[in-house]
Amino acid sequence: MNPKYDAIIIGAGVIGSPIAYELAQMGYQTLNIDKLAGPGAGSTAASCAIVRAHYSTEDGVAMAYEGFKYWLDWENYLGHVKDEKGLAKFMNTGSILLKSQGHDWRKVKKHYDAVGVKYEEWDNQKINAMVPVYDLHEYWPVKRPEDPAFFHEPTQMLAGALFCPEGGYVNDPELSVHNIMRATETKGGQFIFNATVVEVRSQDKQVLGVTLQDGTRIDAPVVVNAAGPHSFKINQMAAGVWEGCNIKTKALRHEVMHCPSPEGYDYLNKGYHTSDGDVGIYYRPEVGNMFLIGSEDPECDPQEWVDPDEFYAGQGGLGRDNQLTEAQWKAQCYRLARRIPTLPIPNQPKGVCDLYDCSDDWIPIYDKSDLKGFYMAIGTSGNQYKNAPVVGAMMAELIDACEKGLDHDQQPLQFKLRNIGRSFNVGFFSRKRAINYASSFSVNG
Amino acid sequence: MQIYVCVKHVPDTAAKITVKAPNQIEEAITFIMNPYDENAIEEAVRIKKRRGDAEVIAVTLGKPAAENTLRSALAMGADRGILILTEDPPDSLVTARALTVAIEQDGTPDIIFTGKESIDNAGFQTMYRLAAALDMTVVSNVAAFALEGKRVVVECQMEGGARGVIELSLPCVIGAGKGLNKPSYPTLPAIMQARRKEVKRIALDSLRIEKPSARADILELKPAVEARRAQQLKGSAEEVVRQLIRILREEARVIE
Repeated sequence: MNPKYDAIIIGAGVIGSPIAYELAQMGYQTLNIDKLAGPGAGSTAASCAIVRAHYSTEDGVAMAYEGFKYWLDWENYLGHVKDEKGLAKFMNTGSILLKSQGHDWRKVKKHYDAVGVKYEEWDNQKINAMVPVYDLHEYWPVKRPEDPAFFHEPTQMLAGALFCPEGGYVNDPELSVHNIMRATETKGGQFIFNATVVEVRSQDKQVLGVTLQDGTRIDAPVVVNAAGPHSFKINQMAAGVWEGCNIKTKALRHEVMHCPSPEGYDYLNKGYHTSDGDVGIYYRPEVGNMFLIGSEDPECDPQEWVDPDEFYAGQGGLGRDNQLTEAQWKAQCYRLARRIPTLPIPNQPKGVCDLYDCSDDWIPIYDKSDLKGFYMAIGTSGNQYKNAPVVGAMMAELIDACEKGLDHDQQPLQFKLRNIGRSFNVGFFSRKRAINYASSFSVNG
Repeated sequence: MQIYVCVKHVPDTAAKITVKAPNQIEEAITFIMNPYDENAIEEAVRIKKRRGDAEVIAVTLGKPAAENTLRSALAMGADRGILILTEDPPDSLVTARALTVAIEQDGTPDIIFTGKESIDNAGFQTMYRLAAALDMTVVSNVAAFALEGKRVVVECQMEGGARGVIELSLPCVIGAGKGLNKPSYPTLPAIMQARRKEVKRIALDSLRIEKPSARADILELKPAVEARRAQQLKGSAEEVVRQLIRILREEARVIE
């Protein structure tokens, strides 16, 4: 007889683990299956783990702001579980959104007001008082260093910033998932690693369970796809699921750079997470007094959609594998160097290259599927780490409601955010939706 | 005073190296300035800043893409560059002869800096051949450098952690080690200035170097097999630290 669980979650990253944690608390016997050696060891480990509230939609802002409350109260969320590795730390630096043409900050401000996000308006003088190394000239539009116009001298100034004091980042995203795993285990949840799912079994449009590469069959009436960059491969294994999604997911290669702070500036302890749409990047402090520089996906940058298995195996060649490229190193460091002219730029690229599980409109799919019992928490598009505990609660409620007979496609679940007390329509994340053109179509979500 | 710094355009240490042909690697990877050459450039630029009358000239031999490494050297503070162009990978003998002729044609070196080795071929020969050809003294793996008038005093890192203090007269060849200094990386304004600095391009053939009577060719490259294994230390924090110290002392031999 095959081992049997109430719910199998494919993936033990920052999305799959909180779903298990919440389901386990509701009494489900859960099993997370991950092909890697430990929790959060895949693309989660490479996440910049930014905790910010600015999103392009009001519901996006609300969900992110709800997430803040979990990170600010991490021990409580985990039920004060003991983790032998220690707890991940929320680095509450505060978050600066520079007012620029690269962000629709007026819309963000409107959403902040509607949701009740705490924020301050800073003028340039205030920004420079808080961050003396920033040069607040306007460099828009975003360009690549190969374009001679990149080096043109600017004439205009930026118009200040929105500052969100509750923002920041999590210092160790992989550890944060280990924390959630330990908390889940106290509720009876189980995890297996180094186990690759090769088949999602079903009969008469009802999921039955999964088969692993070694032939092991595990049964469950509920299977959740939280496989990160492999999400599209898992969907293609499940009968009718891929075909039933109007919004698809695929794996997008992304590079994040680590560049030292200017001499004499203690960015690690005094710096802020900053979203800088004017030059198409965001940055936050990193260990070693470094700037961690992520890309906001400007239109002039190439996009490489890759096969996740080939990517992680280091195959595909320059610009398609998991190695940094000199061109992108220069693009991201030089862009930050326009904002910080004293930034030292090493000759050797340093940073991280990993994958986004990107959806067609850069908004996730948190939904049921056309296969009964098969659910999806996918398409996180590089912008859902901060939301993961909220996603866990929302997906668990969605799964439980659907298993008890809710027709979510016809009458979408209304999910109440526990901390900020606001409800929203989970149908926003439907697989059947039309592309949401209110999205930024970038990591900004 | 003229200070020449020989730099090399090498594959990034973090790059995934794949063997393409029996004796070639896939070159569609990131290339960087040989890390020891960064220490060499840094020291030369520091001398220039202290003395005021020194000119720092970066020299390299390679394919056209090697200009990127020269530009990095210029951004770090070198005044101008010389690029000796060749499509064939030269051995140490040809490299040293080409550098010798190019430097002699260009000026009068007081000091020539190189890295203590190149991280791609690690031939450990170029600086010695260069010094021999120019009739100069040479020291390698230099961890401290002082210039007093016409006299140079260096500290060299030697086997087993020993250090030797050596006095040299000018002109001389200095092989920079990692401990010599901490390279200060260029800012974007310095990188932009470096784009406008002079780089003299010379075809290797036009140098008419004396043809060596022997040559070394790389016949075959094989990927290194990762033989190291992770080892987990178990026990209390104190026991783990004790085991770690023993391993570092007796197996890795990096502490005494």
